[in-house]
Amino acid sequence: MEKPLEMEQIRTLEDRDCTSSDWSKVYVAEPFDPTRFRDVSFDGKVRIGDLSGMVCDMAGLEKPCGIFHASLMDVTIGNHVRIHNVGVQISRYDIADGVCIENIGTMQTLPGATFGNGVEVRVLNEAGGREIILFNELTSQTAYLMCLHRYRPKMIEHLTSMIREYVESMRNDRGQVGTGATICATPEITNVNIGARVVVNGVNRLVNGTILSEPEVVTTIGAGVVAKNFIVGEGSTITDGVILDRVFVGQGCEIGKQFSAENSLFFANCEAFHGEAVSIFAGPYTVTHHKSTLLIAGLFSFYNAGSGTNQSNHMYKLGPCHEGKVMRGSKTGSFAYMMWPCVVGPFSVVLGKHTSTFDTGDYPFSHLEARPDGKCNLLPGLHLTTVGTVRDGIKWPKRDRRKGKKKRDLITFDVFSPYVVGKMIKAGDTLGELLEKTDKNIQEVSVGGAIVRRLLLRTARKYYRNGIEMYLLDKIVQRIEKALDSKNTKPESFFQSDPHAVYSNEWIDLGGLLMAQDRLFTLQDEIANGTIRTIEELSRAIQAIHASYAPDEWIWIRAACLKVFGIDLDRATKQDMVGILENLAKIKSKFLNLVIADAEKEFGEFSHCGFGFDGSSGEAMEDFRRVRGTYEDHFFVQEMKRQVQDVQKHIETLLTRLNECDL
Amino acid sequence: MSNVAERIKKVVAHVLKVDPGRITEDARFVEDLGAESIQSVELVAAFEEEFDIEMDEEAALSVKTVGKAKEFISALL
Repeated sequence: MEKPLEMEQIRTLEDRDCTSSDWSKVYVAEPFDPTRFRDVSFDGKVRIGDLSGMVCDMAGLEKPCGIFHASLMDVTIGNHVRIHNVGVQISRYDIADGVCIENIGTMQTLPGATFGNGVEVRVLNEAGGREIILFNELTSQTAYLMCLHRYRPKMIEHLTSMIREYVESMRNDRGQVGTGATICATPEITNVNIGARVVVNGVNRLVNGTILSEPEVVTTIGAGVVAKNFIVGEGSTITDGVILDRVFVGQGCEIGKQFSAENSLFFANCEAFHGEAVSIFAGPYTVTHHKSTLLIAGLFSFYNAGSGTNQSNHMYKLGPCHEGKVMRGSKTGSFAYMMWPCVVGPFSVVLGKHTSTFDTGDYPFSHLEARPDGKCNLLPGLHLTTVGTVRDGIKWPKRDRRKGKKKRDLITFDVFSPYVVGKMIKAGDTLGELLEKTDKNIQEVSVGGAIVRRLLLRTARKYYRNGIEMYLLDKIVQRIEKALDSKNTKPESFFQSDPHAVYSNEWIDLGGLLMAQDRLFTLQDEIANGTIRTIEELSRAIQAIHASYAPDEWIWIRAACLKVFGIDLDRATKQDMVGILENLAKIKSKFLNLVIADAEKEFGEFSHCGFGFDGSSGEAMEDFRRVRGTYEDHFFVQEMKRQVQDVQKHIETLLTRLNECDL
Repeated sequence: MSNVAERIKKVVAHVLKVDPGRITEDARFVEDLGAESIQSVELVAAFEEEFDIEMDEEAALSVKTVGKAKEFISALL
């Protein structure tokens, strides 16, 4: 409990070059140790805790707690805090225990600050109309609703009102520095809340923002960063000359190497280096690593931008009003260019300079290559069995850097899901119709503004068919296995669905969270009609949708199974199940073997190009072997081959168990 | 059989845009005739249409030369 200073204590402080406009407003904790103060100016109401002991600085060096060479105005300081060298002053801040602040300029809160909350960010459409309001609890899902579903004005109105209410709850005349935070060598911090254990080191300027943290998850803002109107999530790192203005950075993100961003949102586990982002919605796992890469006016997630990737949103007519959507899991090759508006379907690869509009949103795993005339050549489904797709699917969940208790963005990692497979079914049907209708003398057909070689319609349909069958059979076999494990001998209960499951033919990717479309409609209605009234209620509703993924997926699979195979799982016999198991063994092995074959290309003769410099051709092989290794020894190839064997063994075991089972 | 060979040659020359003279039995599609990834897919599709057959992708992986394509396709006819 702090007490006013006694006369003797004031005299001692004055002997140590300390001053105050009114000593009666300075409160200190007992025991008071004046040697912990030197050259401190106190103004307004200042409360100071127990400054005994040591605290770690930025480099981890233990230094004495205390306040030295600083000007404090209307500040509360916790226990065991060190403040050293404040060039201008610290004003209107509550500084928690164990904080170390060294070599800073100004750290101030101005009346009515909201710390980045309430800032409007012009996302996706640079000309406006899809503004997102920043707030600490912003999630990829809330932002998606706010940004993309403007056709539900009542929902937007209520959502805006909920967020505004939250923003008002954040309004405060005093800023906060959380327990154990370290702040060093930063000339200006104005209206910024700094969470517990946050590290702010060598930052140029932080204005109007919040740096969130959790006790075990360090958030770091580093050298040369200039950030205005921002919120940074737990466990993220922003460093090395990054410039941010009107930007939300979610949890576990890494932004560095002079990247600049404005009017943009980066959700969980995004990485952005060197390049530039303007008005983008970077959903979870959006990654851009290279110079000359501009991401503008686009929606991305699970995305990897090649160097020099670029888009245009401006036709020099009505301003920068065009926007693009690149659905989850896609990539753009080096110097890939797209002239918005365009829609790229999930898990697709875009190469070359596309100067015409296309919408391949319903064609997942596609290859989109620009022709010399700028039009898009589309090969649907090609990337179903490419190594990159399989590797990506494995790596994303492993690379989740969100280590705290609270994972704000809800993510469905599955590559194959009702969302993607539903699109494959639709695409397969469309391609089949085109194949039937198109005369053999016609070389090319148009699909969503892209061009598909007529010859490849059948190939693409086959790709999709394989993918659809593999997914469905895999899921059905999982149910068979589960039933066998539980000694369930009633075939009718093998494939039962959850009575609370929701069926929709269409599925949605709501900012990384996959859901049945009816779940979305219900959510939208509940926001619009006021059933959901607060951000907390919204968060709980979205979490409930996340939790319903598996039962909703299963009810969808049952319906798809009837459509694709003509099998009603409620009436499936033992013989049907045997057939399903045998088919899965074949189709999964085939899929894995095609992936292995794709990997083999990386070891082919052309891949040796440039190896064995200054040596013989034999030495080129040796150089390649030593640098790249061999196809046979490559861990990914071995893993895929192991999986082929495992699938066969697993299915054989299940067949034996099924045959032994008295159904 | 020679008819099959001629038709294969015609398809390969058309899809890969190579001089028919280079399309020998030993010629490898990728290394000798320059078939890139997408062209390989087109080639299989073109064979399927030309001969009205269905080529299993996994089985077709073993077809690396013009001669092998002739054997593979002939077996399906």
